[in-house]
Amino acid sequence: MLRNYIKIAWRNLLKNKLSGIITIGGLAIGLTACTLILFYVAHERSYDSFHADSDRMYTVEAQVNMGGDTIYMNAMNATVGALIENASPSVFSSLRLKDEYKPVILTNTQQPGTRFSEKDFSYADANFFDFFSFKLLKGSKTEALTKPYSLVLSQDMAKKYFGNQNPIGESISVRKDSTYLFTVTGVMENTPSNSSIHPDFVASLSSMPTMNDYKRDFDSEAFRLGSFPTYLKLKNASDVKTVEKTMQELSTQGNADATDVYSLSLLTDKHLNGRDASNTRYISIFPLIAVLILILALVNYLSLSTARASLRSKEIGVRKVNGASRKSVAFQFYIESTLYVLLAFVVSVVLSVVLKPWFFGILGIEIDAVFFLNPTFLSILAGLLVFTILATGFYPALVMSAFNPVENLRSSRASKMGGVRLRKVCTTVQFVIAIALLVSGIIIHQQLDFVRGVDTGLNRSDVVMLPLQKTMGTNSTPFRNEIEKLSQVTNTAVTQYPIYKGYNMFFVSSEHMPDAIGLPIFAVDDDFFQTLDVNWELKPEDEHYYSKSEQVVINEAAISKFKLGSNPIGESLLFGNSKREIIGVVKDFHFENLDAPINALALFVNSKTQATTNILGKSGGCLFVHFQPDSDVSQLLSQIEAIYTQYDSATPFEYQFLDDAFDAMFRSEERLSQVFNLFIILAMLIAGLGLFALATFSAQQRVKELGVRKVLGASVIQLTTLLSFDFLKLILLAILIASPLAWYFMHLWLQDFNYKTTIHWWVFLGAGTGAMALAILTVSFQAIKAALANPVKSLRTE
Amino acid sequence: MLLQLNHIYKWVKQGGKRVFLLNDISLDVKEGEFISIMGPSGSGKSTLLNVIGMLDEFQEGEYIFNEEPVHSLKEKQRAKLYKEYIGFVFQAYHLIDELTVYENIETPLLYKNSKSSERKALVADMLDRFNIVGKKDLFPAQLSGGQQQLVGIARALIAKPKLLLADEPTGNLNSKQGEEIMELFRELNQEGVTIIQATHSESNAAYGNRIIHLLDGSKQHQTSN
Repeated sequence: MLRNYIKIAWRNLLKNKLSGIITIGGLAIGLTACTLILFYVAHERSYDSFHADSDRMYTVEAQVNMGGDTIYMNAMNATVGALIENASPSVFSSLRLKDEYKPVILTNTQQPGTRFSEKDFSYADANFFDFFSFKLLKGSKTEALTKPYSLVLSQDMAKKYFGNQNPIGESISVRKDSTYLFTVTGVMENTPSNSSIHPDFVASLSSMPTMNDYKRDFDSEAFRLGSFPTYLKLKNASDVKTVEKTMQELSTQGNADATDVYSLSLLTDKHLNGRDASNTRYISIFPLIAVLILILALVNYLSLSTARASLRSKEIGVRKVNGASRKSVAFQFYIESTLYVLLAFVVSVVLSVVLKPWFFGILGIEIDAVFFLNPTFLSILAGLLVFTILATGFYPALVMSAFNPVENLRSSRASKMGGVRLRKVCTTVQFVIAIALLVSGIIIHQQLDFVRGVDTGLNRSDVVMLPLQKTMGTNSTPFRNEIEKLSQVTNTAVTQYPIYKGYNMFFVSSEHMPDAIGLPIFAVDDDFFQTLDVNWELKPEDEHYYSKSEQVVINEAAISKFKLGSNPIGESLLFGNSKREIIGVVKDFHFENLDAPINALALFVNSKTQATTNILGKSGGCLFVHFQPDSDVSQLLSQIEAIYTQYDSATPFEYQFLDDAFDAMFRSEERLSQVFNLFIILAMLIAGLGLFALATFSAQQRVKELGVRKVLGASVIQLTTLLSFDFLKLILLAILIASPLAWYFMHLWLQDFNYKTTIHWWVFLGAGTGAMALAILTVSFQAIKAALANPVKSLRTE
Repeated sequence: MLLQLNHIYKWVKQGGKRVFLLNDISLDVKEGEFISIMGPSGSGKSTLLNVIGMLDEFQEGEYIFNEEPVHSLKEKQRAKLYKEYIGFVFQAYHLIDELTVYENIETPLLYKNSKSSERKALVADMLDRFNIVGKKDLFPAQLSGGQQQLVGIARALIAKPKLLLADEPTGNLNSKQGEEIMELFRELNQEGVTIIQATHSESNAAYGNRIIHLLDGSKQHQTSN
C-alpha cells in the first residue's frame, strides 16, 4: 500500500515536472533560507556552552559609579579570584585571563627573519585547561601553564610558526617594551567559532610579575578593581547570590568607603547580552525573517499542491469507487506530501552546505562547519522537518479526501477547482510578505545611506588612518616627514587613537561642577583641526596656543556639561590635580557612534614635533593622512607602505580609510540590510514561482472556456487580460495590506536611531509597481500562451 | 434475492421546485440476473446505477442489499458492503493514468488489505484470463480503448464481486470492441456474476435477460428476453 502511494506520487512528479520542480524548489529555497538563519542563530546562542560546566561558569563584574556615570568593569585586581575562593565555600575554582591590549610581535627564534604581529595573545592561570574545555593536543594539561614564560599555541599557530615540526620545547620571542623569551609547552585545538574566548596564544600568567609592563599589577593585595578579567566556577549555579554577597563583604572589608557593586554574570550570556552587542543587535529579527520565509514557502507549497491535486480528482474518484475510504485517501496525500517535503529537505540541506560559505561571507561571519553536527542545531533541524511535514500534508489531505466520487467521475475533465479561495488567500499572503520585505529592505538601505551621509562635523573623505605601534619608536619623525613629502598628500595629523575606536577618559571637575565627571580626551597635534576640517566655535587668539602646557580645547557639548559660561575662554577645568585653562572651543563633531548625542570632549593639543615624537613614536599613535581627492589611492598606499616598512619592519603595515571606519559602526545595520537583500530576492522568487505555477493551472483549468470565448470572437489581448486580471487584483490587495505593515515596523525600527531618514511615499509606490510588474510578467506568459492556443484542439478534448 | 429497491425517490431542488432524478423506482434483482437499463440521455440511468452502487444517496424509499437495509446503514458500513460485493465499470474506463495495468487491477485489493502473495496470485489469474499478461507493465495511455476497458473490467472483478455495475461500458468503443466486451459480460454472467448495465444501444441491451426502460426518472416498462 505504502509502496503504491510512493510510486504514484513519484510518477505524478515525473509527469508534471515543471510544477513539481516549482513546488519542491520553492519549498527547498524556503527551507534553505530557514536552515541558514537557524544555523546562524543557533550558533550565536550556543556561545561558550561547549564548556563542560558552562552552566556554572561566571565572570566577575563590578558596577562603578563615577561622577554620575555608571560604568561596568570586568577587570579585577590580581588577588580577587584567590580571595573569593578562600572566603566562599561555594566557589569551586577561579581563573585569571588577561589579553594583550595591543598586538605583540612574535618570532620563532630559530628563524629570526619571520616576524608576525599577533592580536590574540593572552595570559592565563595554570588551571586554564582544567577550567575551560579547550583541548590540549600536545603537552601536559596540568603543567603546560605552570612555569613562568610557558606558552601554548593553537594548532593553526603551531603550523604558522613551526610548520610540521614538533613545537614543544622550542622558543618564541615576544616583543613588547622589551623582548621576552617563551618556551612552547603545549599545542591546543583551535578554539571553536562559538567561543567568546579565542586566544591563539596562551602564556602562563606567572610570567607577568617579572614583565615590565605588568609588574605593578601585582602590588596590591586588596579586593578591588584591577586589570585581570576573572572567571569563577561555582559548585552550584544556585549559589550566585551567596557568592555575590561574599564579594561585596570582601570589598568593604578592604575599604569601608568602597561603593563598587560586584556581581557575577553567566559566561554563556556574555556573547548575546554583553555590553558590546553590536554583533548581535538584530539576532532576534533574524528568526522572524526565517519564519516569514518559511511561511512563504509553506503557503506556496499549499497553494500549489491543492491546485495540483485538483487535477487528480478523477484518480480520487476511481480510488473511492474501488473501495478507498476517506482515511486512506487522506493518508495517501499525506504520504505524497511527506515525500515531497523530504525531497525538498534533502535539496535544502545540500544547498545549505553549498551556500554556507557564500552566505556567511556576505554577513562577514565565520562559523565552523562542524557546527552543522551540533546536537542542538540538528534537533532544531529535525523539528523543522517534522513541522513542515505536518503543516504541508494536513490541508491537501483534508481537501482531497473530501472529494465526492460521483461528481468527479461524471465529468471526464477535472472541472472543479478545489480550494480556489484558499489559493487566492495564499497568493495574497505570499505577496504581502514579499512586498513588506521589499519595502523594509528599501527603507533599511535608505537609512544606511542616510546615516553614512550625515554631516558629523568633520571631513571623512580622502583621509586614511595609519595606526602605528611602539616599534616605530624614534623613526616616527622621519616617517611623517617622508609621508608629507608625497605629492598627493595635502596634510597629516596625529591623534592617540584612531577615531571611532576609543579614547582616554579623565575625571574632570569645574568651578560649577565640583563632582568629577568622566570626560573623553583626545591627544592631538595642531594640524588635527585643519586636516579633518574641524571648525572652531571660538578660535584661540594665540597662533601658538599649543606651545604652553596646562591648556585645553573643548567642544560645545562640554560647555553645558560643565556649566561653563557662554564664552568659557579663560575658565579652567580640573583634571585630577592639574588645572587646565580653556583656550578654545570647537564645534561639536561625532567621535563615537551616532546612537547617542555628541558627548563632551577635551582636546590636548601638542605641537607638531612633540606629537610626532611622543604620541606617534613612543606610545604608538595614529597618523591621519589627508590626500588630494583625485589621487590614485592604490598607488598612494603602496608608496606609504614602502616608507612604512623602511622605518618599521617589525609590525605589519595597517591602514583604514576614515569613511570606512565610520561605516564600520553600522555593521549590524549593514548586515541586516544584506540579509534583507537576500531574502527579498528569495521572497520574490518563491512568490513569483508560485504565481507562475498557479497561472499555469488556471490556464489549464479554463482551456475550454477560453476555446469557447475564442470561437465567439475574443481577441488574444482580451483573453490575456481576462486571465491576468484575477491575479493582479490579488497583488493589488497585497500591496494595500503590506504597505501599512511595513510602514509600522520600519517606523518602529527607525526609533532606535538618533539620525533617521524619512519614509517616503514613493518607496511604497515603487515596491508595489515592482511586485505588479513581476506578477504581470509571470501571469501573462501563461495567459498569452493559453490565449494563442487553437480552440479546435481544446474543444475537441471535451 | 440479491437486492430490492422499494419506491425510491431522488430529487434536486431547482428554483424551489423538486426536479425528480428518480421517481418511484422499484426493482428486484435476483442473483445471476443480467439486467440492461435503457433510456435517453438524462433519463436517470447513471443515477440509478450510482444509487444501486451506493455511491449516491436518495431521499425516499428503501434499498435492501443482500438482506441489509442500505438506507439505514452508516457510511462506513455501506462502504464495507460495496467493497465486498460490488464492482464498477465505466464508459470512460477511469483507470488511474499513473499506474500500470497490473497496479490498476491490484488497487481494490489494496483497499481490502489483502496479503501481498494473495494479491499477486489474484492479479496474475486475472491477467491470464483476459489475455493481457504481456501488457501488465504498460500504462493506460499505451493501450487501445478496448484494451483499457478490459483492464477496467478486470479491476472491477478482481475482488470477486457478486454484482457488476456497468455504466455505458461500450460507449467509447467501436462496434467490434463493444461486441467483445458484451460477449465477455455474457460469459461472466453465465459464471454467476449478477450484472446491471446502463446502455443506449438496443443490441447491447439485448444481451441482458431483462431490460428496464427509464424516462425522466420513471420506470416505463420492462421486457424480458
